Parts: sequence; C-alpha cells; structure tokens
Amino acid sequence: MFNRVKTGAFAALAMAIATASAFAADKKLTIGVADALTGGGAVYGLPQANAVRMAADEINTAGGIKVGSDTYKIDVIAYDDKANPTEATNAVRKLIDRDGVKYILGFCCSGSTSAVASFIGNEKAVMLVGNAAERSITTKKIPNLVRTRPPADFTGQAAGTFIARKGHKRIAVIGALDVGFYAQYVDSVERELKKVGSEIIAREVFTLRDRDMTPQLTKIRALNPDAILVVGYVESAAFVYRQAVELGMNIPRYGFTSGSEEQFLRVTTSAQMEGVWDLRPTELDLLSASKNGIAYHANYTKKYNASPSPSSPYAYDQLYVLKAAIEAAGTVDDTVAVAKAIRALAIPPQVVMQYQPVDGKMFDVNGQAYTSNGAFQWQKGKWVFVEDLPSDAKAYSQFLSTLN
Amino acid sequence: MLIEILQQTINGLAIGGVYVLIALGLTTVFGILGIAHFAHGSVSMFGGYLTFFLVTSQGLPVLAAIPIALVAGFVLGLLIEIVAYRPVRHANHINAFIVALGLTMMVEGINLQLFGHEQIVIPTGLSKVFRLGGVTVPELRIYVIIAAIVLVAAMMLFVERTKTGQAIRAVAENRDAAILMGVNVNSIPLIVFGISTSLGVAAGIMVGALFAIAPGIGEGFVVKGFAVLILGGLGSFPGAILGGTVLGITESIAAGFISSAYKDVIAFVVMILVLLIRPQGLLGRSP
Repeated sequence: MFNRVKTGAFAALAMAIATASAFAADKKLTIGVADALTGGGAVYGLPQANAVRMAADEINTAGGIKVGSDTYKIDVIAYDDKANPTEATNAVRKLIDRDGVKYILGFCCSGSTSAVASFIGNEKAVMLVGNAAERSITTKKIPNLVRTRPPADFTGQAAGTFIARKGHKRIAVIGALDVGFYAQYVDSVERELKKVGSEIIAREVFTLRDRDMTPQLTKIRALNPDAILVVGYVESAAFVYRQAVELGMNIPRYGFTSGSEEQFLRVTTSAQMEGVWDLRPTELDLLSASKNGIAYHANYTKKYNASPSPSSPYAYDQLYVLKAAIEAAGTVDDTVAVAKAIRALAIPPQVVMQYQPVDGKMFDVNGQAYTSNGAFQWQKGKWVFVEDLPSDAKAYSQFLSTLN
Repeated sequence: MLIEILQQTINGLAIGGVYVLIALGLTTVFGILGIAHFAHGSVSMFGGYLTFFLVTSQGLPVLAAIPIALVAGFVLGLLIEIVAYRPVRHANHINAFIVALGLTMMVEGINLQLFGHEQIVIPTGLSKVFRLGGVTVPELRIYVIIAAIVLVAAMMLFVERTKTGQAIRAVAENRDAAILMGVNVNSIPLIVFGISTSLGVAAGIMVGALFAIAPGIGEGFVVKGFAVLILGGLGSFPGAILGGTVLGITESIAAGFISSAYKDVIAFVVMILVLLIRPQGLLGRSP
C-alpha cells in the first residue's frame, strides 16, 4: 500500500515537474519587426530584420530572457513596411492590435519611422529604432522610443571637419536631398566647411528611383569642383560613383551611404569605386570591429550566406538592449517599466556597434544612442577603416535636448 | 556651355533609345489592335531579368543570352495574345483594359517570385570610356544607341518592305478591307504581340545593363512609353522614334539646365506644350 502511495506520489511529482518545465518552455515573448523588406529601403531593412532574427536565435539558444523565475523564448514577427509611411503605420498597427506585440524593432528608414513615431507615444508598446537617421525622431521626447543609430547631422559635423581638413575649397553635393536627414547631414558639413572658407557650390538632387545621374553629374562637371559629396541610399550612390567615372570626373569622392562591398559591387566595379570615402558612423567593418563585431560578421555570413550590411547591427543591438532592459525591469508586461529600464541601461556587453556612453548610459535623455564616426575608404575591393572622426556625443546630446 | 549641351544630348540619347523601343512596341499594339498594353513595361523587365539569369546563373556570355531572351520575349508575346487578349478581342474595350491592368500585376508578381526583390544590373564587362574633346561617352552607351538604331531600322524595314509588314499595316488601316484582300487577320495580332514584346525585351536588357532592374521599374517605363506615344502621335512609327528621342534628350537637358528635382515633370510639361500646339502629336495625323 505504502509502495503504491509512494509510486503515485513520485508519478505526481514527475508529472508536476514535467508540466512545470513544459509550462516554462511554453513562455513566449513575441517581438515585432517593422522594416523595409522589399523596395529601395530593403538594402538596409532586410539585413536589419535578419539581424533581429539572428539575435533572437542566439538569445533563445543561450536560454532566453529571464524574468524572475520565468524564462521567455523570443518569437519574431516581421512585416514589410516598404520604407513607406502608410505601410509602416499599417504594419505597426497590425503588430500591436492583432498580434498583441509590445516591443517593436527594426525601422531602417526615416519617413516610415517618423510616421510611426508620431503615434507610438500613445501606445502601450516600446519602439526601438535602428538605421533611420532623421534627427527629429529623437527630439520629441517620446518616453517609449529609443534609437541605436546617431542622427545624421551628428555624423555630418564630423564629416565636414574631415573634408575641410583635406583642403577642398569648392565641393559639389549630389544626393537624395528631399529626404530630411540627408539634407541635415549636408547642412552640418556645410557649416564646418564655411569655418575654413570652403563652400558647397552645387546641390543636385536625385530621387530614390533614379538610376541615371549623368545629367546632374554633367552639370556638376561643368562647375569644375574640387570634390563631390554623395548622400543617398547605396544603390543610387553606387550609380553616381560609376557614372562620375564614366564622365571622366577624376576628383575625390566623399559619401554618406553605409553600403557593404557586396551592395556596391552589384552596380559598380571595384576599379570605379577605388578611392571613394564613406564618412559615416563607425558601423560594422572588420578592420575596426570589436570581438563582437567579428563574431557577428561571421555568424551572419554563415546563417544568411551573405555579408551583413554595415548598419545591420543597429537592429541586432536593439534586441540585446531589450533583453537587458526586460531582465532589469523584471517584467515583460509593463512596457512603461521596460522603457524606463532601457534609458537607465549601461551599454550591454553583447552589442556590436561601438557606442559612446552619455553619463555612463547607453541612451541619453532623448532616448538617443551615439556611436563614434569614422572615415572609411574603398581600397582594392573593400572598405578600409582609415581613421576615427572625432565627435562629441555629450555636446550633441545637449544640443538635441534643446530641439523640439 | 556647348560641351555641356553636347554631353547632355548624348546622355539623353541612350535613355531616349530605350523610350523609343518601349514606345514602338506600345504603338504597334495600340495602332493595330487598339489595346493599351500596360503590362508592356513589366514584360520588358522580364526580358532584362531573364538575360541577367542566363548570364549570372547559367554562365552564358551576354551576346548569347540576348538572342535567347529576344526569342523568349517573342514566345511570351504570342502567349499573352492567345491567353490574355484573344478571349476579349471582340468584347467591349473596357474588358481589354481590365485584362491589361490585371496582366501588369500578374507579370510583376511573376518577376518578383522568379527573380526576387533585389535590384539587378546585367554585367556586360564594358567599362571603357571614349573622350572626344570635352565630351565623354561610355562604351556601353554607344552600343545601346547603336542597338536601338539597328532594331528600329529592322522594324521599319519589316513593316515597310515585307509582305507580313504590309499585312500588318493593312489591318491597321482598315481591318475589313484587309479581310477582303485575303489577309489572315487572326495571325496578325500574334505577330504584332511577338514583335512588340521582343522590342520591349530589348529595351529591358538595355535598362538592366545601363541602369538596373527592380520591382516597379517597368511601370515607370510604360508611363514614359505612353507619353512618347502621345507626344509622337498615336499609332505613328516615326512619331514614336521622334517622341522617344525628344523625351530622352529633354529629360537630360532639363535636369542639367533647369532642375534635376523636376526632371520628369519638365519632360511632361514639354509633352503638354507640344500637344497644345499639335493635338495630334508631333507626327500624328489630324482626325
């Protein structure tokens, strides 16, 4: 009798343990990604979505997110916002209203991100912005929004100093200047150029769909500039670099694009790219990368059979930031507490980008993170990190706080 | 200044050649069958994608891939006529219009499924640049302009000098009279769609080599193609040639001398201005 009771008790205990483990294993945290998975912005958005999935797999393999006695495995739902404000709004509404998602990552492109930022403050959700560089995204003091990429003009200031130091007096700009953050970058460059008596002599525009830049470049060529500055998405910029060579423009070329070697070589040849500078945040580059960066590059390449774009770790880092914040807040349900915890975080050890802390924290009071800026040059088929571009994150953060 | 004008004209000639080929295909279909074939742009881009696939995945040289793509384009044109347009040939015009719109979405979808969402550029290996005075012309653009001229000349010869060409013109002029003269009017739409699609494929290959092909690009080209059609005069072959060249050069000069931000707008303003003076288009016949 006693044996039977003992056996029954053991069976009940085993069942309870099994149920409890099954229960623990069943805990799932669904993370949303809204990003450009097709169209012009996909060169940034698709690698970002891939990076989030990769980070989720890594976190799940390492045991998940620990909240008290619970462990959450991450499930990722990604929707294509096509870098379009309406599509982005629909995607985020679907994530929040239909899928019940509380944490939304991705956001490569400024127009679509700004549209979501305009209403996310009213939602019980946390928005982590990646590659979108429009300054105003973090000037609105939205408590449940943070961004891992620094604003474009933070980088533009450092780029302007670098170009001015090269001694060019007359610089022609060609770019997607109808996009706010590219115009902000150029304005910052111009301010630095003026300090040394240099000037921008032309501002030629292309749209995201333009692929024939020869009319604009012919006009620039006639002005005889000392250098050109190209600001725009990778694909458009690649055509500018290629067609500038085809028009015999043998002058220094500077850019702000953040494209990978692979992305540029789909359009141009390495010879046509030789010597081009990219003045951008110190994103993923094997020569400048930390141990995390090198591992990220290897893992991404293995998983997706393609090199990661330099800006993709902004999204990868988002998930590690979120993990750290949820664990610090001790909740997955209270988005206000998690948003507060994000702002209080020190830089998590797993991140790939090299962030500059402000007052010891990863994000400043505006919810903005800062990476260092760097000058990269195309040399024999690849981007080579040449030098750091000095940038003062604290001073910029104070400036950002004064804006609305 | 003169060099800049010359350079802009040469810049515009290559893209003008693409517009001419697209418009020739459209004008052939519209002039003879009265169908606004909106899917023409997407079908053209299919040709570019196919060439890219043959070159990069099958390892064919570009010069071998191009004829295969042109033949595939011809066959695709036949299929489009038989499957999509023939069933609505005798129906109300709105039916063909709706079929054209549906076909556009379908071909775009097929392109996306078969070739993905990535932008592609057809590798040609042509990177030489020729300089004449202050004017520079990339080798590839020269070949594109020559190819466009050869195709247009071949098309003109076919229409003007061959029996089939004469039959096509006869159907365009007066279908009933053509039937009475013994023209097989059932085979004419097939030939028209075959040739038109081949011309479109040639244009798609040029776009893919000069610039890039990506989802949605074809729609932009078909809009320009219809603009050329109207500018040159509906159904007029010489009009399509003149209209395409004028549009290409106007875009380039407008971007260079007025504003690159309004390149497309300026080109369409020119079209409207021409139509105000000549409502029938540059070389169209007065009603």
